[in-house]
Amino acid sequence: MILYTIKRLIQGVVTVWFIATATFMAMHSVPGDPLMDDKAVSEAVRKNLVDHYGLDKPIHEQYYIFIKEMVRGDFGISFAQENRRVNDIIREHFPISATLGILAIVFAGLGGILFGALTARYRNRMPDIVIMFLVILGISVPSFVFAALGQFALVKLNAFFGTSILPVAGWGTLSHMIAPSLVLGLGTMAFLTRLMRSSMLEIVSSDYVRTARSKGLPTTRIFLRHELRNAILPVVTVLGPSIAAITTGGFVVELVFAIPGLGQYFVQAVQQLDYTVIMGTTVFYGAFLVFMVIVVDLLYGLIDPRVRLE
Amino acid sequence: MNTALSFAPVVADRDVEVISRPSLSYWRDAWIRLKANRRALVSLHIIIMLGMFTVVGPFFAPDPSAQDLDQISVPPGADRTATIVAPYAPWSGVTVATPGGQGSLEAPVSVSLAGEATTQAVRIFWDPVPGAKGYRIYRNIAHPAPDDALGMPLADVLVPSRVSFEDRLDIRPQEYFYSVVPLDRNGREAPVYATLGVSATRVITAAEAVERGLAGSSADLAIGDQVKLKMHVLGTDYLGRDMLSRLMHGAQVSLFIGIVAPFLFVIVGILYGSAAGFAGGRVDQVLMRFADFVVALPFLLFMILFRILFKIEGGDSGIAPMLIAMVILSWPAAARLVRGQILQIREEGYISASRLLGAKTPYLVLRHMIPNTMGVILVTITFAVPSAIFTEAFLSFIGMGVAPPTPSWGSMCNEGIKTMLTHPHELIFPALLISITVLAFNLLGDGLRDALDARMRS
Amino acid sequence: MTDQIAPTLLEVQDLEVEFDTYGGTVHAVRGVSFDVHAGKTLAIVGESGCGKSVTVQSIMGLIPSPPGRIVGGTAKLRGREIVDGETIDGDIVRGSEIGMIFQDPMTSLNPTMTIGDQIAETLQVHRGFSHGQALARAAELLEMTRINEPRRRARQYPFEFSGGMLQRSMIAMAIACGPSILIADEPTTALDVTIQSQILDLLRDLQQQNNMAIILITHDLGVVARMADEVAVMYAGEFLETGTADDIFYSSAHPYTVGLKAAMPTNRDESEQDLMPIEGSPPDLFAPPPGCAYFARCPRAMGACQNDPPPAFQVGSGHATRCWLHHADCPRRIEDLHYAAPLEGRDA
Repeated sequence: MILYTIKRLIQGVVTVWFIATATFMAMHSVPGDPLMDDKAVSEAVRKNLVDHYGLDKPIHEQYYIFIKEMVRGDFGISFAQENRRVNDIIREHFPISATLGILAIVFAGLGGILFGALTARYRNRMPDIVIMFLVILGISVPSFVFAALGQFALVKLNAFFGTSILPVAGWGTLSHMIAPSLVLGLGTMAFLTRLMRSSMLEIVSSDYVRTARSKGLPTTRIFLRHELRNAILPVVTVLGPSIAAITTGGFVVELVFAIPGLGQYFVQAVQQLDYTVIMGTTVFYGAFLVFMVIVVDLLYGLIDPRVRLE
Repeated sequence: MNTALSFAPVVADRDVEVISRPSLSYWRDAWIRLKANRRALVSLHIIIMLGMFTVVGPFFAPDPSAQDLDQISVPPGADRTATIVAPYAPWSGVTVATPGGQGSLEAPVSVSLAGEATTQAVRIFWDPVPGAKGYRIYRNIAHPAPDDALGMPLADVLVPSRVSFEDRLDIRPQEYFYSVVPLDRNGREAPVYATLGVSATRVITAAEAVERGLAGSSADLAIGDQVKLKMHVLGTDYLGRDMLSRLMHGAQVSLFIGIVAPFLFVIVGILYGSAAGFAGGRVDQVLMRFADFVVALPFLLFMILFRILFKIEGGDSGIAPMLIAMVILSWPAAARLVRGQILQIREEGYISASRLLGAKTPYLVLRHMIPNTMGVILVTITFAVPSAIFTEAFLSFIGMGVAPPTPSWGSMCNEGIKTMLTHPHELIFPALLISITVLAFNLLGDGLRDALDARMRS
Repeated sequence: MTDQIAPTLLEVQDLEVEFDTYGGTVHAVRGVSFDVHAGKTLAIVGESGCGKSVTVQSIMGLIPSPPGRIVGGTAKLRGREIVDGETIDGDIVRGSEIGMIFQDPMTSLNPTMTIGDQIAETLQVHRGFSHGQALARAAELLEMTRINEPRRRARQYPFEFSGGMLQRSMIAMAIACGPSILIADEPTTALDVTIQSQILDLLRDLQQQNNMAIILITHDLGVVARMADEVAVMYAGEFLETGTADDIFYSSAHPYTVGLKAAMPTNRDESEQDLMPIEGSPPDLFAPPPGCAYFARCPRAMGACQNDPPPAFQVGSGHATRCWLHHADCPRRIEDLHYAAPLEGRDA
């Protein structure tokens, strides 16, 4: 397990290096000088940047500087906002995006497991039919529609009760987080419900559940110790990619609910062609996702002894 | 029983189980099973209908960028009548002698309408308030209940003797509530107001009617006549553009990306994956490792990066960059799948058997490899369509996809969400189309997967 | 029967089991009766799909319901009726009274639980053991089933065990609460021959130590010959012939039993003759034939067999068969059928 962890971490570092290189190459293939047509850059900042990044040097030296700074954990200074370090921008806005994303994945995971188990248990009966109908809707409706509808519903709900039950936009307190994370997790929850259902159905008719029944175990014990634990395994394997989907999917929810997350910042940076912010955010997000996938894989190892002990 | 038992030997018909079914080819069998799946079949019909909507529809629809300024943000089925009125003539307003007064300001005793409230102009006047140094006029679309917002401030009338206001600001045929608030000598609002509710009727001048092709000539039209404005089946958007037409043209973009992108990246994936699968060994390992790296790139971020890379200029639609970016980032999944299939099939008994019988590689590829991977590939493409449509919609929604004048379902949603609370149809229609399309492709994919699964043959 | 003194543990009378499927109702078990005696082994033998597994699974209440249901018959465990409506009251039988082991030990154990925990939980549930006590007992049970280093092994997961060891663990689990009956559903089919032999020896030893009854489901007449005291030959949901092992092997009274024997390989030198397959395939249990189920494949089929179901004819003490050849009026005799020489002995 330790060896496996080390191996995965090394793989992760190499992957992040690849992401950084790809980002660097993508940004440097952009025609023209990155500082050329940006009116927001003052002469002082401009000179600073040219010196700092060696923008007048050949590309391989620039790449070397870029990677060196990256390894030191320094993403540089924003082009568009004078005297603002990219690290500060990330430090300020990423926790918001991460909180939103983690709440959403927790909600999606718990909901998916719960509803998946429920539908499998009541297969082809009313709860199954109703939930699976909602699941198909959940898979087919884009996240921004959920976000818009969610906000619309909140407005109407608050108007109906005459008080603010949940805030319609903004960020700060827990009540601000509920609606956007629910909306963000909905699509993933639908997907996980579907996965959990088929996994559960397979396991309910498996030989070892039959063995457990032949031992005369109570239904709840069979459900918890024999069915649920094994049925969750495939759900956990897709949790890693799901985190990636949810964190980037958060852009839309941040936009609709006016949440000052990193996603919004990234979109803004792209519109302003704020090169350092774009590169820094991309590499940071990439590293975060790679790290999360490793964490999920290691987590999987804890649940599945076949992985843990090999 | 004992009455008529016969103990004479008989020869029973041994062939209880004869193979009576005709042998079906893989694809025919799959088709038969797909047809038995009602959900998949309905989805297939929906997809065909969507195709017609996209390809044939635009020939019959009006120009998607033409603006109908008389009907902005009109929901479907709205009243289209307009009354002919005389051209606009300026209004002199109402002036009174300034009543003196001290102390706190009262609300105007009443607010009244002068003439008809029309989309051309709404003219109101009110009883002067003693001591008021001016008035501020607000407009709202809902009745300002106690303590509620008065709406949008229209203007300040800063002449105490003037007690009238003419509103010509973008009036729609709907109800408006005008509130008049007296101002004290420092220009501050008094905490009182009076409100008038009016219902504006849609009007049009004869000249305008002729110009928009609603009538032959202005001679045919008398003041007070009613004309019908242009028909917009699904209403119009915030710029007065025909929703149906924009949805049809938007479908061309959304479905084009949604279908072409998966085809392209699956083809790239097949080439890459089969190269890796056939080469095997070190080459295979290196190729697949590279694919792993590409998978690890944060997809949406890189989709956005590519947009900068291609530098979308003014007139560009942004379709080609999106397509290219999608192919560059999405091929590894298909490559992995194809490689896995090829590695698996290579080990199958029937390949060895075929080889033993003297089959050459081209025959093996044509007769065994391709038919046996086609099903998986087809299912992959079907499932890739919804995600490509989602990606397009997502990017266009955050303003990083198709550039504005070109309609796409995603960009229409982006525009629609801004007016969601007042004109929900502008969001609902494109969102509905995206959902229906994605749903249909998902259900078709489910059906195809079941139908093509060789284990399900029965 | 060989030993009338052995007390009867389980009495099954005219058990009928049906399944509802999309294709219609499958009449999987069509009226079978048998007794199980303490310390004795009853073997139920038949082809795949003849209903032998369904018979024992319905006794255990393991038939999923719906779609499965018991539509007739009674089953008494130590005189107490256990058929409860359309299913069996599983709480009475499972685990503590009847233990069960299955065909494929590789898939019959929970992959994410240690072997020890899986054995222990039975004891915790039925005997009220603490987790520690139960684990200690689990190690003892593993030792009883001849697993080396039982304490270490108890902490391992199924994927760390070989097939034979898994089946031993299954046995340990099944006998954990000292059941009076052990049902073994094709316990050796998935194992290779040497392991098979060890498992069968183990079962017999455990049976002798605990005076346990065994219901052995198999399609292997060799296993039957080695293990069984009593045998029921099952075909298309019915018992065609029941009797002692000797009855079945030495004086087979049904053409199907004869056919099965002829299809079985022997290792005797003088048997130069080819194996004789039974032509055709079993009838469709969606619509069982009106007469004898074996009619279509029977080399001695008669007019009566086609539409009249044969009753159980007593052909000896405790030896019965459903075949019209034993009707008093029938001019022909089963002996004509013994074209294949009977087996030499069952301890071969």
